[in-house]
Amino acid sequence: MWSYLVRRLLLLVPVLLGLTVLVFAIARLLPGDPVALAAGPNASPAEIAAYGREFGLDRPLWEQYGRYLWGLLQGDLGVSIYTRRPVIEDLRAYLPATLELVLAAMTLAVLVGVPMGLWAAVQRDRWPDYLSRVLALGAISMPRFFLGLLLQLGLAMALGWLPLGGRFPITEELPLRITGLLTVDALLAGNLNAFWVACQHLLMPALAMSLSPLATIMRMMRGSTLEVLQQDYVLTERALGLPQRLIITKYVARNAFSATLTVIGLYFGWLLGGTVLVETVFDWPGLGLYATKAVVTQDFMPIIGVTLVIGTLFVLVNLLVDLLYGLLNPKVRPA
Amino acid sequence: MSAEMSTPSARRPRSAGREAWRRGLYRFAQSRLSVLGLAIVSLLMLMALVGPWLAPYPEHLEGAVSTAARFQPPSAQHWFGTNEMGQDVFSLVMGGARVSVLAGLAVVLLGALAGTLVGGIAGFAGGWTDDLLMRLSDLKLTIPGLVLAMAVAAALGPGIFNMVVAISLSWWPGYARLVRGEVLARKEDLYVTAARAIGARPARLLLVHILPNVMTPVIVKMSLDMGFAILTVASLGFIGIGVKPPTPEWGSLLSVARSYMPDFWWTAIFPGLAIFLAVFGFNLLGDGLRDVFDPRSRR
Amino acid sequence: MHHSDNPQVNRRQWLGASGAGLASLVLPLDAFAQQGGRRVLVIAATQDIPNFDPHIATGYSASFLLRNVYDALVRVEGSPPKPVPELAQSWTVSGDGKTYTFKLNPAARFHNGKPLTADDVVYSFKRALRLNKGNAWMIQGVVGQDSVTAVDAGTVRFNLLKPFAAFLHVLPWIWVVSKADVEANLGSDDGQTYLRTQTAASGGFKVRRAEAGNLYELDRVDGWQKGGGNLTGVIWRIVRETASQRLLIQRGEVHIAVDLTSEDMDALKDKPGVVRIIEPEYRTFSIKMNTRHGPMADLDLRKAVSYAVNYKGILDAAGYADLMVGPLPNGILGHNPQLAVYRTDMAKAKEHLAKSKSPNGGIKLTMAYVSGLEQQRRFGLVLLDSLKQLNIQLDIKPMLWPDMVAACAKPETFPDFFPVYQTANYGDPDNVAFAAYHSSRNGNWQNAVYANPEVDALIERGRAEPDSAKRVAIYRDMQQKVVADAPDIFGVLEKRKLALRDNVKGFQFAPVASNAIECFGLSLT
Repeated sequence: MWSYLVRRLLLLVPVLLGLTVLVFAIARLLPGDPVALAAGPNASPAEIAAYGREFGLDRPLWEQYGRYLWGLLQGDLGVSIYTRRPVIEDLRAYLPATLELVLAAMTLAVLVGVPMGLWAAVQRDRWPDYLSRVLALGAISMPRFFLGLLLQLGLAMALGWLPLGGRFPITEELPLRITGLLTVDALLAGNLNAFWVACQHLLMPALAMSLSPLATIMRMMRGSTLEVLQQDYVLTERALGLPQRLIITKYVARNAFSATLTVIGLYFGWLLGGTVLVETVFDWPGLGLYATKAVVTQDFMPIIGVTLVIGTLFVLVNLLVDLLYGLLNPKVRPA
Repeated sequence: MSAEMSTPSARRPRSAGREAWRRGLYRFAQSRLSVLGLAIVSLLMLMALVGPWLAPYPEHLEGAVSTAARFQPPSAQHWFGTNEMGQDVFSLVMGGARVSVLAGLAVVLLGALAGTLVGGIAGFAGGWTDDLLMRLSDLKLTIPGLVLAMAVAAALGPGIFNMVVAISLSWWPGYARLVRGEVLARKEDLYVTAARAIGARPARLLLVHILPNVMTPVIVKMSLDMGFAILTVASLGFIGIGVKPPTPEWGSLLSVARSYMPDFWWTAIFPGLAIFLAVFGFNLLGDGLRDVFDPRSRR
Repeated sequence: MHHSDNPQVNRRQWLGASGAGLASLVLPLDAFAQQGGRRVLVIAATQDIPNFDPHIATGYSASFLLRNVYDALVRVEGSPPKPVPELAQSWTVSGDGKTYTFKLNPAARFHNGKPLTADDVVYSFKRALRLNKGNAWMIQGVVGQDSVTAVDAGTVRFNLLKPFAAFLHVLPWIWVVSKADVEANLGSDDGQTYLRTQTAASGGFKVRRAEAGNLYELDRVDGWQKGGGNLTGVIWRIVRETASQRLLIQRGEVHIAVDLTSEDMDALKDKPGVVRIIEPEYRTFSIKMNTRHGPMADLDLRKAVSYAVNYKGILDAAGYADLMVGPLPNGILGHNPQLAVYRTDMAKAKEHLAKSKSPNGGIKLTMAYVSGLEQQRRFGLVLLDSLKQLNIQLDIKPMLWPDMVAACAKPETFPDFFPVYQTANYGDPDNVAFAAYHSSRNGNWQNAVYANPEVDALIERGRAEPDSAKRVAIYRDMQQKVVADAPDIFGVLEKRKLALRDNVKGFQFAPVASNAIECFGLSLT
């Protein structure tokens, strides 16, 4: 088990390295002249050249990459040409918001999707199963931004139950920042009121993000549950007369869940990169908004930074999922 | 029941194939959802093909405006109401079908083409070519697709073509993996070995013998992907990347209409519903097709 | 997950109860601003404030921060705007209009308690000219490096290079920094890195917290300026969607919204607690044509297009606005409301088209516009529709603003049509005339290609002439000549649309920079 773990961790290095190369290459090969943009409309050619030298853009490509990689290892992700702030600072400001959103969405998706998938499998071929299939397909087809708009229209504008957007009422001081996740920080500070308010702001965007993974998790859970239900040992237990509920909760759920883990891991990564539209609708100050701004101003350091962070998190989460899967399912572990 | 026995050997191969088709169609027709999907998709295709002629106000699709009739709610003259420039929302939504369907199709085709080539070469060549190409496509998968598409599309400039290229860049790895797997499975098949024995060159082997036989799963994947391709196109349109005025596109229609909610809700609701229905239809269809062609994945 | 026996009823009851619970637990949001004796004014805007340097930053969001945190020699107030004392207690002007002497208010102090002297004023002006960014263009060619001197600690003298009638109007935009503070943090870029995020100021507010892309909070300073309102702080909150701003002001979650559209104002019509401000201001919106390169270099074609445009359509699409009457904003000094301008007249349009190089149309023109700016898109659609009647096709291209600015550098890269908002930063016709029609601005987005030496001469005379009546005559002449050249499609003057909560007191509208809210005199009841 340990050797497997070590090997996987070592494999991380070339993967992450390859990621940096790929991302850097794409970003630098994009057409457009970010320096001219940043230098401003009144800049003379001499000023533009000076800007370029300042950011090292006049060096050969491989040298730029080398400098970038060296900086990465020291925690320096470059400077945003537009805001002239280090990208790492920007990321530190915006990442927690997106993380919180994605975690909330995945929690919702798992909490609702897993039981529903189980239930659909148990009720196989009867109307709840059929309905769940339609709902699942509908959920995956629903554009996140449209759903967000609808939620905003209904719950915030028409009914006034929830705030329109943002993470927290801005005239209030945020709870002391420990993790950057407002809900967690509020709980850690023992401030239940702040926690409740933060949850209100989080609910709609998380709902909008959660529908897609919810549907897929439900379908996966259903599929793997059905598979497990066919297994010999389950049939044996049934024959032995164990109650249905016990069989399901004790044996089936656990084995079926391990297959769903992979989907959860994948979706976590996808959601991280897919928050752009929901963040736009709800004015959620996260990586998505930051990336959009960087794209629009062709500011390539932030684009690289965001892509790297999300890509790295994706790789790490999937590694974690693989390990968990191995834990839950000893048969899969390599010798 | 008459003892109707088909003569062996001569007729068996053909009728076996046709039998499989008939069985597949029957299974397909059994599922009400799949049929519904087919219906929706057919409607969409129809709108894509003849929409501009069937639309009640075709001039609005070309950019004509009618500022005296702004923001009119749905009525008999304008089924979906009018927008901020007095244009008929129903016509715009119909026009948008053409853009979305064509763009989605282009994305899927490009992605499938690129992915098939890469996957085919990887699977066939094996060795380090295989490793390299697969590592590359794995890496590609870790990069957030939407951000990448945004960055590339914004850099390339406005226009449907640039947007399609940008999106397909993130689309090909899935096909590469799929095709590689299939090619690996078929590489050692009898007919391939036979062809090789005769002395056929690798390229010919790949293109003429192997690839045509891996098409089925690729086509199924393409139909499954159509929905998401349309969704991605609409997403980029929502951010403001992609089409330029006056081309109607559901995502950009929705993005402009955001500011008019809740008072002029029809400018947003109908394009949004159109996106949903289109994606839903393709997903239903794709699901149904997958059940037909790949019964292993059923239940 | 099993349902209970009566799923319908139970679920509905549960939903209702939790909904009510949610609603009751959302504290009335006004209460937030009033907690603990704090009176914090919240402003919703779409623009970020990436740079705090008073000699670099531009944009209304930066102007908001700078005019509240920093002081200038004078301020402008009222409608029509008039200069009033700020750092300068009083001033005298020489007869030839070239020498201005300002007596500084001896009470003026920086936030760090040190007195503000003439040296700081001199230093600030020199720095602004040296860096030549931000608002420096307003005094370029008028104030030289040696023009500003400190007569003594409390007196500053300006010896202008040329007389400039609008001088007092541009002074509010050149702010005074603390020489000591900046020199202590010069770095290698004249203090730009330091002042980008720090302030060396004397104004009624200081920066309490800054979250880029999200909000900026100012705290009221107990400083040298007396009076003012009862605010303890101000928050500039970035809300990217105007519809969101509208809903926030409706619900009382913000006190002022500065980026509302005409549709938003209509939606706010009778909403309780909301005060709408819809006032004309000096902000023009027109479409520049490429007078030097391409088909639009042909005067007859330009006139044809000017007659073909559906002005009613533009006005409809703009909502609360007035049609421009010529190149100068309506109501500004020197504007001629009786000026003969182009209005929709297809007969005349076709007449001019027949005389042009493309008598039957059949050409394709391009228009670039800033991707995301809705009004420009609408304008483009109206133009497309209008040009169809002349058998001319229009290719509308959404572009990024920096790319558009880059295209202005040469006539060859400049598109046929280029929509432009011209804001009068100061309430003088020279602002628009010089920025938008003087050939020295060629290559810049404000006036990329148009150049007419006669018009140039008129503009220069208008700047220098101290006598008001003579200026009016000069500008009348200038407007006529510009209209005859038809370099732009003169569009609309959008009215400034602001919404306030009714508990905001002391707000005075001025047709210049009204969205850069000046907070000193405001109060919350």
